Amino acid sequence: MQTIRLNRLLPHVFLERKDSLQSDVWLQDLTLSRGKSYLVEAMSGTGKSSLCAYLIGYRNDFDGQILFDDTDASRLTTAQWTQLRVQTFAYLFQELRLFPELTALENIEIKNRLTQHKSAAWIDQAFERLGIAEKRHTKIGRMSFGQQQRVAFIRAMVQPADFILLDEPVSHLDDANAQAMAQLLTEEQQVSGAAVIVTSIGKHLPIHYDHTLHL
Amino acid sequence: MKLLWKLLREHLSVPQLCGFFMANLCGMWIVMLGIQFYTDLAPMFTRDDGFFGANYIVVSKRISTAATLSGAGQEFIDDEVEELASQPFAQAVGRFSSSQYKVTATMGMKGSPGFGTELFFEAVPDSFVEVSGRDWLFDPQQRTVPVILPRSYLALYNFGFAASRGLPKISDAMASQIEMHILIHAQGNNEAFKGRVIGFSSRINTILVPLSFLEWSNAKYEPGKDDTPTRLIARVGNPTDEAIMKYMDSRGYEVEDNRLEAGKATYFLRIVVTLVTGIGILVCILSFYILMLSVYLLVQKNTRKLQNLLLIGYTPARVSLPYQLLTLMVNIGVFLLAIVLLLPLRAWYMKMISLVFPQVHGGSVWSAVVVGAVILVVVTLFNFVAIRRKVDGLKHG
Repeated sequence: MQTIRLNRLLPHVFLERKDSLQSDVWLQDLTLSRGKSYLVEAMSGTGKSSLCAYLIGYRNDFDGQILFDDTDASRLTTAQWTQLRVQTFAYLFQELRLFPELTALENIEIKNRLTQHKSAAWIDQAFERLGIAEKRHTKIGRMSFGQQQRVAFIRAMVQPADFILLDEPVSHLDDANAQAMAQLLTEEQQVSGAAVIVTSIGKHLPIHYDHTLHL
Repeated sequence: MKLLWKLLREHLSVPQLCGFFMANLCGMWIVMLGIQFYTDLAPMFTRDDGFFGANYIVVSKRISTAATLSGAGQEFIDDEVEELASQPFAQAVGRFSSSQYKVTATMGMKGSPGFGTELFFEAVPDSFVEVSGRDWLFDPQQRTVPVILPRSYLALYNFGFAASRGLPKISDAMASQIEMHILIHAQGNNEAFKGRVIGFSSRINTILVPLSFLEWSNAKYEPGKDDTPTRLIARVGNPTDEAIMKYMDSRGYEVEDNRLEAGKATYFLRIVVTLVTGIGILVCILSFYILMLSVYLLVQKNTRKLQNLLLIGYTPARVSLPYQLLTLMVNIGVFLLAIVLLLPLRAWYMKMISLVFPQVHGGSVWSAVVVGAVILVVVTLFNFVAIRRKVDGLKHG
C-alpha cells in the first residue's frame, strides 16, 4: 500500500463540535504516504486512538472516507482486514493489548508464528537492545507498563508493514529506552520503507518527522 | 496452536464440559440402542422362510358351525378356482393336493429317540415352492421324500418334547439332521419311506411334500380316490391389497397370513423404537444446548483475548479452531464410548432373546454405528457453525 487518504473524516462523537473543530486531520483531505514519518500531536480526548482504530478497522463510527490507495476501507471484507493487519499495518496499541497469561517472549511468538517474519535471533536482540532481555520469560502480568510497552513494540515489529502505527509508544519510557526504541524503529523503517505514524500527548518518540499534524 | 490453546483454554469449565459429555452420551446411546434393538429384532418378525416368497397367500373356506352341521363342503370346485384366478390381484393360483392314504411318521435327532405320530401330506405345484429342483425331487426308486415342516413343529419339539426329555434343541440349520421315517398304510400294506427334512416354513401350515410324490403315491396306494382341494395357494402382487380382503369376505373365504401378525408386531416395535429414538434425539439436542451455553460463556469470558487475537491478525477461523477441535474431540469421545456401552448391553439382551428364539442371530451393528456417526457429524457441524458465528460477532469491538 502506498497511500492512506483521509477524506473529510470525522468521528461521530465530534459531530456536535463540527463547526468549531480545528484540526489538521478531522474534516481535512489528508494523504499519508509510504516512506514518510508523521507525528500526530494531540490533547487527551481529541480522537487520537479513534484515528488508529479506524485505520486498522477496529471501529467504524465515523463520517467521511478512508481510502487505502484507491480502495474504500468501508468495503473491505473480514479476510481483507485480517490480511492488512498481518501484512500492511504494524500497530502498537495505546492499551498494548498484550496477553497477561503469556510470557513476554510468547507474546511475540504468538504474532511471529503467524507472520514468520523475524528470526529468534532478531527477537533476542530486540529484547537486548530495549533492555528487557532478562524479562523474556516473565509473564506480562508481572512486568511494569514501561516494560510491557517495549514488548508491545517488538510485537509490532515482527511483521511486514507499509505503515507502522505507534499510539503513544514512549509514554512510560525514560529517555534512554525511548532512544533505543527510536533507533530500532528507524532501522526497520529503512529496511521496509514503511511510513511511521506516531501519536503523542506530550513525550515524543525521538525520530525524524517529515510532518507534524495537530489533531 | 499450542500458544493459542494456552490462551483460550482459560475459563474452560470442566464440570460444564462433563455435563455436556454425559448428556450427549446419554442421547447418542439411547438413539443407537433403539436402532440396534430394532435391527436385531425386526428380522424375527419379517424374515422370509426361504421356501415361499413374500407374495403368497393361502386361501381356505371359512369353517362355521352352520356349515359343519349342514354338511356344506369345504372344498373348492373348479369354477371357484377359476374365478379366483381371474381376479386382477391374482397372478397365479394353485391347488393344495393332499394324501388320500394313512401315514404315520417318527421323527427325532440322529442317535436320540424320536416321537411318532399319524399325519398327512399336502403338496402345491412346484412353481410355488422356491426350493432348487434337485432338493425338491422325488424319485420312486430312491424312496426318500423331501419334506418341509411347519415351523410350529420345531417349537413343539424344542419346547415340548426336547425340553421334557432333556434332548438338544434343534435350530433351522440342523433340519437336515432330523431322522424321519414315513410309513404309508394302504390296502393292508405298509410301505416305508425315508423323509428328508429340508427346512421349516412359517408361511404354510402343513407338511409339504413334492407334488410329484403325492400324485405318484395317491395313484399307487389309493387309485381312483377323488382329491378336491380345501386350500388354494395364490401368488398376488401385493398381499396387503384391500381388494383381496374384500373379495375374500364376499366369498366367505379366509386368508391364512401369519405375516399380518408379524406386521402388527413389527409396527409396535417400530412405534416403541421411534419413541425411544425420539427421546434420545431430544436428549442430544438438550446436550447440544448445554455445550453451546458453555462455549458462549467461555467466549464471553475470553472476549478481550479473542478480540486481541483478531486485532493482531488472527482470522476468525483460526481463533475458532481450538474451541471447534475441543467440541470435535468431546463428540468423538462420546461416540466411541456410546459404542463401547452399546455392545455389552446388546450381548446381554441377545442372550435373553436367544433363550426364547434360538434361531434369532440379530442384525448388524453397522446401522446403529452409522446413525451414531451421523449424530456425531450433525452435532459437530452445529457446534462449529455456532462457535464461528460467536467469534465472528467479536470482529468489531
